[in-house]
Amino acid sequence: MTKSGRSASVKRDMDDIIQTCDAIESRKFNPFLLDISEALRILRLHSEHLKSLQDHLLDMRALSKIARVVGLQSANLRFQSSSLFVDPETVKQKIESLSRQQLAEFLLLSWHPIVEIEQLTSATVKEALSYWNQLLSFFERRRRLDLGPLTAPSAAGLEELGEAGLVEAKTFNKRLLEFWDELRQRVSPNGVIDYWSFVRTSQFSETVARAQFVSFLVTYGYATMQRDGDNIILRPNEKPSLPTSGSPLSFPISIPREGS
Amino acid sequence: MTEPASTPSLYSERLKRAAHMLFFKRGKIPGARSWELKAGLGKGYSTVIEQLDEVLKDLDLEVKKAEAAVGDDTPVEEGYRYFVRLRGTLTPKEARMSGWRIDNLAALAACLALLVSKQGKVERKELEEAVAHKAGRWRSLTLMDTFLRTGYLEEDEEGLLRLGWRTKAELDLQSLMMLVAESKPESPTLEPEAEEGKAGEEVDSQAST
Repeated sequence: MTKSGRSASVKRDMDDIIQTCDAIESRKFNPFLLDISEALRILRLHSEHLKSLQDHLLDMRALSKIARVVGLQSANLRFQSSSLFVDPETVKQKIESLSRQQLAEFLLLSWHPIVEIEQLTSATVKEALSYWNQLLSFFERRRRLDLGPLTAPSAAGLEELGEAGLVEAKTFNKRLLEFWDELRQRVSPNGVIDYWSFVRTSQFSETVARAQFVSFLVTYGYATMQRDGDNIILRPNEKPSLPTSGSPLSFPISIPREGS
Repeated sequence: MTEPASTPSLYSERLKRAAHMLFFKRGKIPGARSWELKAGLGKGYSTVIEQLDEVLKDLDLEVKKAEAAVGDDTPVEEGYRYFVRLRGTLTPKEARMSGWRIDNLAALAACLALLVSKQGKVERKELEEAVAHKAGRWRSLTLMDTFLRTGYLEEDEEGLLRLGWRTKAELDLQSLMMLVAESKPESPTLEPEAEEGKAGEEVDSQAST
């Protein structure tokens, strides 16, 4: 075998061992799935061909992972010999076969809920008062934090609050109605429009916002949404009307970032 | 009729203080840590706690010592938390009156039994699937969040779920496992589960719309 081929084989074998150990650690497999002596034999076999620092690090990592699996095997044996041991598959089958009433009763028979009270006591009031008395003034604490001169508070207008993202410039209902108007104006003569041509814009965030408004239009009965093969068609209603028959249905639509 | 002679207790004042410390919730987690009790009651705090346990017996309450929550870095001997809990158990009616739904109790029982059988660690997805079998998919997601928030389950740094501090304090897991292992399913005529399950799924699907 060539030198590079040998190196690739070493890496592959060690990666396999590490991945198996990782799966065991995350409880995907039984710890006894890994044959420890076989894994160690593989590591020993490759030990003479470890050349670079990377190879040695990989070997060390595999060895430490095997050690952790040995630890899990030991814990597993200790657990199996304890009174809490029941085979997981048996438990799963039992749980599936039991009724909710039975399961709840089993919990209640083993449950001793904690008793706790949430209210003020004279002790906590005293503690709070002592804290308050010891608390430095706001200006003193601020001075110690070295935050610089204090600017006097001033009133902020709606515009400033809107710019800071604290207040919506328009109410939600007003925006929804404007959006409904836009939808009605943009439909084709037969009264429908393709979902993506209506929702998609050059800005991803705006596309998401428009998709959200469309979902509200449909939920509140301002428009209907239909599937036409791979296409999704939007049809604005003349008046908001909620369907009276049938049950509502969730229809998730993913928005690809690159497509917006 | 004569009044029963009151036996003066050496610990009466400290007993009251211990009761205050254990009953009144001061932080996120109820009860008190060993070092808090030591600071509040003195070195002989364990004797005071034993006496409080005796006093609470008549009220069907007890003092429970449990391992402190994960992340606490105090020494092992001080890494315990003491709680006051019910000595006996609740009836289904009492549990309902204190805000627990039968569905939620059943889901918690299923989660804990599965977790214990897997040696205390399991992937969240596996628990969700087990609960979804009884309660529906959407509810299983919210129930899992609720159990995590209330401390019955904990999520570790590897994303695996394990038993939370509240489970260690409140549950007799040995008894739960024994009950599950020895159980037999109810006869189908008594079990309205199929219809209830269907109704639950309908509610879930509407809620997700």
